[in-house]
Amino acid sequence: MNATAATRLTDALSLHAATGAAWLDTRRADAAKLFRDRGVPHRRIENWKYTDLKTALDSANDAGESDIRCAVASLPDGVELFDLADLAHAPQWVQAHFGKAALSDAMPAASLLLARAGFALHVPKNLTASKPLRFSFEGSGHARALIVLEEGASLDLIESRPAGRGFSNVGMEIVIGPNARLTHVRMADAAPDAIQVEDVAVRVARDGAYTARLSNGGASLSRLNLRLTLKEKGAHAELSGVSVLGGKLHADVTTEIYHASGETHSTQLFKHVVGGHGRAVYQGKITVAEGADKSDSRQTAKALLLGERAEADLKPELEIFADDVKCAHGAAVGDLDADSLFYLRARGIAESEARNMLIRAFLEEVVAEIADETVRALVWQSVEDALPRAMAS
Amino acid sequence: MLEIKNLHVAVGGKEILKGLTLAIEAGQVHAIMGPNGSGKSTLSYVLAGRAGYEITQGSITYRGEDLNALAPEERAAKGVFLAMQYPVEIPGVTTLNFLKTALNAQRRARGESDLDAMSVLKLVRKKAATLKVSEEMLKRALNVGFSGGEKKRLEILQMELFEPRLAILDETDSGLDIDALKLVAEGVNSLRSPERAMLVITHYQRLLDYIVPDRIHVLAHGKIVAEGGKELAHELEAKGYEHIVGKAA
Repeated sequence: MNATAATRLTDALSLHAATGAAWLDTRRADAAKLFRDRGVPHRRIENWKYTDLKTALDSANDAGESDIRCAVASLPDGVELFDLADLAHAPQWVQAHFGKAALSDAMPAASLLLARAGFALHVPKNLTASKPLRFSFEGSGHARALIVLEEGASLDLIESRPAGRGFSNVGMEIVIGPNARLTHVRMADAAPDAIQVEDVAVRVARDGAYTARLSNGGASLSRLNLRLTLKEKGAHAELSGVSVLGGKLHADVTTEIYHASGETHSTQLFKHVVGGHGRAVYQGKITVAEGADKSDSRQTAKALLLGERAEADLKPELEIFADDVKCAHGAAVGDLDADSLFYLRARGIAESEARNMLIRAFLEEVVAEIADETVRALVWQSVEDALPRAMAS
Repeated sequence: MLEIKNLHVAVGGKEILKGLTLAIEAGQVHAIMGPNGSGKSTLSYVLAGRAGYEITQGSITYRGEDLNALAPEERAAKGVFLAMQYPVEIPGVTTLNFLKTALNAQRRARGESDLDAMSVLKLVRKKAATLKVSEEMLKRALNVGFSGGEKKRLEILQMELFEPRLAILDETDSGLDIDALKLVAEGVNSLRSPERAMLVITHYQRLLDYIVPDRIHVLAHGKIVAEGGKELAHELEAKGYEHIVGKAA
């Protein structure tokens, strides 16, 4: 009898061996317990309602082999790189953080236990990285990454996810020290034969800043969790992204932002263009803790549906326990604006070109937020790559 | 140039135009005046080819061709231009890029070659200066954050740029102060030519003090109910629509 991918995952977790490093084994034991309690997420779990990972894994046949590789290119001077394959000899900065944020959900817990590949990065105090650091995860299996920015450090990350096949589960932890800043660009190619889960847990200290710029081509099933804790006063997060989906591709971006302290700020802008049988999901939960006064949080999600069978599920959610806060959110799903289309056509622009212009204009608002010209061009190219499939319907 | 015969148009199953007949020769400027709800905007949209405006009876012939058989973009390329009452705001498309795309799309449809960015910019700048359309407006997203007057000036700039054979101005005067009105009227007047026809649609006589029409048609309840020379505008202004519409009924 063929074991399903989901049961294989559960079996593998029960077999994980001790590493001998006490700090690590404790965290892993907690992760194992958490996974045993929760299991592979499925659609009856509220947070996974639109992304049924269990069903997807059960019906996938070749998700068992683990060949995941991570590649880190263009390491800037002064940035320290550590291979997570050698965890038993991890330096102090790895020991201090690795795996601590893996205990919030089953999938990061699984990657903590089963990761076969991964890396950790350390940006020392007050170092501004001279160039962006590029990395990618490719193949199937579990992997982890840890990125630590000490006080006043600054780094640009460019993450790419080539299409690949099979099931991959990546867990990332990002620790941003006081006054440090990280820009995280993530571009995922359309991956019709892949199930991709990625969990990114970010902690931002006083006056630190995390910026995410996402471009998502979707997968057979794709789930990106961004979980942010704005821990101290002045911490700031700016998230924006586009998903461009066609065929039967799916992309779920789920964000959770926890304003733990006062005077913390977050903005989110997500746009989705969906054609064919594509399905875009955005869930954005903002929690403002008791006493986190003068926090400011804005959230916008929009979807453009290009066909009758395209689907978008946008779910903003606010939980406010503080008194003096500014929170604004909005979500809209629609078709191309008929007035705009007519206006362009009445000026001589053929219907197909007018549609083209309006779809790009819709996405442009998000990509335009990217300050760096080179990165902006890179992200725009990934949008262009994904558009033909979305517009084919 | 344009011949409309017994035109009946329904929108959402409701008949708005009920037998409108009208002819404009090249070189002429005609005005259509009428109260709210008389069918003025329906006429302008049906001429430009907007979806949802169904011709149930009658015909529109433009330079010997059945206009209704053409898509909006084909009409534009063949020289039909509608200056809209409510120009649409389109975020993410800069005004200058829009002008270039539209101009070249029309040129291509006519078998002409594309103009490069520099040539378009030169052309646009020349027109923009007289219409007080700033360089900054051209760089902004199309109509986004423009005042009512700025939007209307940009419509006229497009008219000057595309050099249509038949220009229809739908309530171009609405929302304009007197200075803007004069500016727009000057733009329109500068385009008067023996090869060009214009149809000025308005509720008020005010615009027609500056764009003096050859002929005025009064539209009410989906039909032309009165016609006359430019003096008809003043009669309408003095006595009101009720007087004329009532007499015709």
